[in-house]
This record gives sequence, structure tokens and C-alpha cells, in this order.
Amino acid sequence: MKKIIFGIAFILFFSFMVITAINMRPFGEPTFSEMDDYFIKNAQVETGANNVVTSIVFDYRGFDTLGEATVLFTAVVGIVALFRRVSR
Amino acid sequence: MNSFVEIVHIFTLTIMIIAALLAVIFKKLLPSVIALSVASLLLSLEFYLLHAPDVAIAEAAIGAGLTMAIFIFAIRGTR
Amino acid sequence: MKQMSKIVRTITNLVYGFIIIFGFYVIVHGHLTPGGGFQGGAIVASAFALLLVSYGSLITKKFLKKDFLSIMESSGLTMFIVLAFLGLGITFFYNFLANIGGWFGNTPVIGPNPGDINTGGVIPLMNIAVGLEVLSALGVIVLLMASGAEFTKKKENS
Repeated sequence: MKKIIFGIAFILFFSFMVITAINMRPFGEPTFSEMDDYFIKNAQVETGANNVVTSIVFDYRGFDTLGEATVLFTAVVGIVALFRRVSR
Repeated sequence: MNSFVEIVHIFTLTIMIIAALLAVIFKKLLPSVIALSVASLLLSLEFYLLHAPDVAIAEAAIGAGLTMAIFIFAIRGTR
Repeated sequence: MKQMSKIVRTITNLVYGFIIIFGFYVIVHGHLTPGGGFQGGAIVASAFALLLVSYGSLITKKFLKKDFLSIMESSGLTMFIVLAFLGLGITFFYNFLANIGGWFGNTPVIGPNPGDINTGGVIPLMNIAVGLEVLSALGVIVLLMASGAEFTKKKENS
């Protein structure tokens, strides 16, 4: 009984994924591209950096990098608190 | 797209799937960790072929370097 | 944890300085070439992991102090947040040094070009801050994991 339920759920989920993958846009053509065009055209003028990826990561989307650094800091705080008997 | 690049894509992805299966199948711990490292390194090569060198550098340094070092420490500690 | 064989130690002595220098190159040239703070810090931390694997944690602890790495990590995160707040005259994370001359303020040539290291405004400084933070964070994680495995093994044997 359990195996039949698992099989039906697996077939439903897998067919859902396959239908979604078939109906996706073609590779390399994003649906909304206004923001990408703006970045590619204006990033070098506005920030002065040649690498557009770095200018997006550290300038336009700086909050993402701040969150990432905070997550890493929290992980290190947790590990230092876990190994506090070992490290002395 | 160039046909040589497509052949390299297919080759890389096939070996990556084989390495990921071997990481599950192996009974000993150290060969399994090495197979996982091979899968991660080939994933980094695939990112580089898809024109994303930033992600490729991060994947090669963290996935194939630091994670394997931590796994090897854990295996040595429990042996 | 015991040392590994002499071959591994000799190769480590030859190679680890070059890995550390390549990591700092990736950090400093983050606004010109692929890479940046996170990737360069991960490369330097993998050099630390190489040292720990080949030499064991007891010898590596003598010149890779946990407290020093911890202080460097906190100062890197603080430097990043202070740089973000310095642009608060206009918005948070405003690039206030770009295109005005002086430090990191040259105007770049538009279009594909080899690049000038004195451009980019705040971005190189933020790269250095995040690079210091990631380097010392991953170094602390690997160092504490290695010494934790050593501690567990010693406790089981005694």
C-alpha cells in the first residue's frame, strides 16, 4: 500500500517537472531582459569597474553580499562556540 | 554552437554522473570521498564551459578543496 | 594527527606560498578579472587546509593562531559595513569614490580594454574587506575542525 502511494506521488511529481522543463523558454534568452541591458550598458560608466559581475555584486546588489558575510560570520561564531573546549 | 564544445559537455556530464553514482556505491569511506571530489571538480569544469568563471573558481576552491579536507579530518578522527 | 610522508611535506613547502600569493592576486584584481573577495579568500583558505592535511594540526597551530584569525575576521566585516555606511549621504552602498580622481577614482576607457587597477571606486576596498573576512572565516573553520578531530582521537585513546 505504501509503495503504491509512493509510486503515484513519484509519477505525479516527475511528470510535473518534465512538463515544466518542456515549457521553459529556450536556453540563453531570458524572459525579462530590461535590467540586464541596463547593467551591461551602464555598469562600466557608473561604477568604473571593468568586471560587470563584481560591480553588480558589490555595488548594485550590495545587500546580498552583506547578508552573505553575516551568514559566514554567524557560522564561524557557532563553530567557535562548539569547539571552545578544544581550542584552548 | 561548436560541435567540439558539445562533445566536451556530454563527456563531462557523463563522467560526473558516473562519479556521483560511485560515491554512493563504494563501501569504503576514503574512495567514496575521492569520487565526490571528482564530481565536484567536473562540476567546476562545466561551470567554466558555460562561461561562468566566478562560480567555477568558488566551486573548485570550496567544493573540491575545503569540503574534502574536512571530510578527511572526520574520517581520520573516527578511525 | 600524525604528519604525512616526506614527499607530501616537500611538495607542500614548495607550493603553499604560491597558492597564497595567487589568492591575494585574485582578491586585489577583483574589479578587473574574474573572481573577487569570496573566491580569493576561498583559495587562500584551501592553502591553509593543505598545510593542515600535510603537517597535522599540532605543528600548524604554532604559526596559524586562532585568535589572530578571529580578530581579522571581525575587522574585515566591520570595515565592509563602515564602507557601506560612508556612502550614506546619498544612499546605502553608494559608490562615492568612483570617477572623481584620486584613490581608485580614474575614469576607465569604455569598452573592452585590459584595465587600470586605479579604477572602481569603493569596489576594490570592499573586495579586500570581504577577502579578509572570508579568508579568516574559512581558516578558522578548517583549523578548529582539524584540532577537534585530534582532540576526539586523543580522548578515545587515553
